[in-house]
Amino acid sequence: MAGAENQSGRPKGGRGTETIRQRLDALEGKLATAHGRRPPPEEREGRGKAMGQALRLATEMVAGVAVGGFIGWALDRLFGTAPFLMVAFLFLGGAAGIMNVVRTAKAMQGEPMPGQHLRNATDDDED
Amino acid sequence: MIGAAYAAEEAGHGDGHGGGTGLPDPMHQFEIKRLINLDVFGFDASFTNSGLFMVIAAALITLFTLFAMRKGALVPGRLQSVAEISYEFVANMVRDNVGTAGMKYFPFIFTLFMFVLALNMLGMVPYSFTVTSHIIVTFALAAFIFIGVTIIGFWKHGIGFLKFFVPSGVPFVMLPLLVVIEVISYLTRPVSLSVRLFANMMAGHTMLKVFGSFVVALGLLGGWAALAFMVAFTGLELLVAFLQAYVFAILTCIYLNDALHMH
Repeated sequence: MAGAENQSGRPKGGRGTETIRQRLDALEGKLATAHGRRPPPEEREGRGKAMGQALRLATEMVAGVAVGGFIGWALDRLFGTAPFLMVAFLFLGGAAGIMNVVRTAKAMQGEPMPGQHLRNATDDDED
Repeated sequence: MIGAAYAAEEAGHGDGHGGGTGLPDPMHQFEIKRLINLDVFGFDASFTNSGLFMVIAAALITLFTLFAMRKGALVPGRLQSVAEISYEFVANMVRDNVGTAGMKYFPFIFTLFMFVLALNMLGMVPYSFTVTSHIIVTFALAAFIFIGVTIIGFWKHGIGFLKFFVPSGVPFVMLPLLVVIEVISYLTRPVSLSVRLFANMMAGHTMLKVFGSFVVALGLLGGWAALAFMVAFTGLELLVAFLQAYVFAILTCIYLNDALHMH
């Protein structure tokens, strides 16, 4: 115990509230400089976040066209009007895809990313 | 020298890893193998490695929650904290996105989140099988959610749920076109939900395999760069495994919110 105290360079017998407060303040200062050395979180996560968002928007767009095309194909088979309904529904599906992309993008601008949300939630739980 | 390389390639072919180039086939890991052959009235209902890992995931979640909560202490220990945090995490997700009316569906969302998370994480264990890298599995999950949410919508609002597909404040002439587009947009939900999870898992695991084979192929001299990348990429894959389970659960919440409150 005593050895550990000497190693960390603390004054001996530092049990009083005043010394503890001083040590806490010093530690906070050190933590702040350590945090300052690291790049801001946006920079570190920027690329992964952007990739995730791009992939999400891309699936949204492709899914619209694919579902539209499938519906058109199925209706064509039902009514025997190939290929007119499929062509029409491919365009409608594209429109639905673009609508989904715009909606998702709007939601992305308003909300923080999933990972961020988690970190805030776990931090908030403590107090 | 050439003879040795050729022999190695032949050996590679023998155990199903061969891709013709001597490198292991990155798609081999997604192969479904029958463990117990079952034939139910002409349907192939064999117990496969995919089924085995689903059972392992379900058993792990059940055992973990039961074991962690066995004491039910007021001041939780480490394991109990993990169980309580996951409960709180999903409960907050449901409350934030659906409101208190959605807490009725909390057990389902919690099960869904834990199941997908366990499957994704089990896939990160070497020699294991990633169930969520198969689109049929993720699509079955998404289709179940989609049909369930639609039923809840019609059950809560009756035929009035159809108003969900009629955008407000548009000229009457444009309505038929916009309703069709809205319906298609609604129908894309299970597709985008399932493709997102499946594509992320499959792409990640293929990348891991490809770079893993680079480490072996480049050998002691050049393999270190690929190995360093592998270490970083494994960390990223762990993040993706968690994030995709989270996204899957949160989108289910959003769809449920649409069905319950219709915007």
